[in-house]
Amino acid sequence: MIKTIKASKSEKILFIFLIVLGVSAFSSFFLLKNKCLFVEKNDLKKLNFENPDNIAVMNLECGNVIIELYPDISPKAVERFKTLIKKKMYDGSAFYKVVENTLVQAGDIEFGNIEYLDYSKIGSGKSGLGLLKSELSDNFEFTEGSIGFARSTEFDSEDSEFFITLKEIPIYQGEYTPIGKVKYGLDIIKKIKTGNKAIYVLRPDYINTFRMLETN
Amino acid sequence: MKVIFLFIILFQFFHVNADEIYNLLKIPNLEIYKLKNENNIRYLNAKGDFKIGVDDNITCNKTNKENLNTKFQVIERNIKRYNSQFLKKIDLKYIVFCEGLFISNINTGGIPDNKNRTLILDINFNEKYFERMIHHEIFHMIQNSYEDDFNDQKFSLFNNSDFEYAECSTCSDRLNLDLYENTNGFLTEYSKSIPSEDMAEIFSFLMVNKNLIEEKIKKDSILKNKVNFIKTNIFKIDENIL
Repeated sequence: MIKTIKASKSEKILFIFLIVLGVSAFSSFFLLKNKCLFVEKNDLKKLNFENPDNIAVMNLECGNVIIELYPDISPKAVERFKTLIKKKMYDGSAFYKVVENTLVQAGDIEFGNIEYLDYSKIGSGKSGLGLLKSELSDNFEFTEGSIGFARSTEFDSEDSEFFITLKEIPIYQGEYTPIGKVKYGLDIIKKIKTGNKAIYVLRPDYINTFRMLETN
Repeated sequence: MKVIFLFIILFQFFHVNADEIYNLLKIPNLEIYKLKNENNIRYLNAKGDFKIGVDDNITCNKTNKENLNTKFQVIERNIKRYNSQFLKKIDLKYIVFCEGLFISNINTGGIPDNKNRTLILDINFNEKYFERMIHHEIFHMIQNSYEDDFNDQKFSLFNNSDFEYAECSTCSDRLNLDLYENTNGFLTEYSKSIPSEDMAEIFSFLMVNKNLIEEKIKKDSILKNKVNFIKTNIFKIDENIL
């Protein structure tokens, strides 16, 4: 007859502790790995837009970001933005500059594509379409989700790089050309990989595809 | 591998000054003091000490808030005299407040920077000359934007032929800012340093005590020509400033 040995109280506690540890380690591994887990998906079929011609869809790792463009405020800039989208030049563009809780920046066509990132030149690339004149608006407020054309320290140097603000930045008003605003999917933008304390990101997140909304 | 390591090291340096004001003005440790103003000027405050320029040759310290709140009333009153169109023409949009402003170890009241549309002001500058200093520095921004109109050589011709300015404003000992009793072509000792300082002194006196200068020029033909030169060229930019 086999004599059953009862586990002592401390052994039971240790056993429970190990189970809890195992479960939490297992779940946190998947939770941490999948940063998109709790991000709301935007189903384009369920959304209606007043001006579908000015709606662009940026697909990122965590889903679709729906952007409304403002040609009434900055016609030339929006025209350029649409051209770059239609030519699929933003596909693969890296969010190489991310200031945590402040802004994300992408759109360097020449040196900022995930296929051919050049860290020594990133931020100085050209689209080949030429520079644009700044279209500044003293009335456009850069609030959370605003999109503006990036430029060098000089005005009239906009080309293809753009930024999306993650908070209100009042000092940008009248300083940068506004392009539009994120209508849906700001939480997806907020999931973009940061460089921790650095503003430039190594192995950055990037744009899968960027398309104008198909209206047919 | 070494290259990747180099980039990792390099990227770690970029976290410093990663704020939106720095991105615009290239001056660290600033905060917004007052953004919405009738003439679209934007006031910024040094919340920490900063060093900028070639070899960090420009240094300034953070402000004491109480001190700034007191001085701001004087500054705002004077800056309000310039309308938004005029400020745009002279590339002035941001005024940065700090205390103890030095350039290459020489104390100065203000540093104009047209490229970044910024004027840095030392709010602890001698109170006796403080208001005038504001307009003096603004004149430098005017001159930088309208170099042909405020041409140094053209202006120098108003002086007697035996007079010579110094090589530069800081390489002479002509630094006193008090108004001369007998002007003899110059309002202050500092006016004798270089042509642009001479012009800036005239402009600043015209802004703070125009009547006194009108009296002075009645007995001083050289000064009269200089004052008219400044007035005429300012009038070309904006009819309502002087």
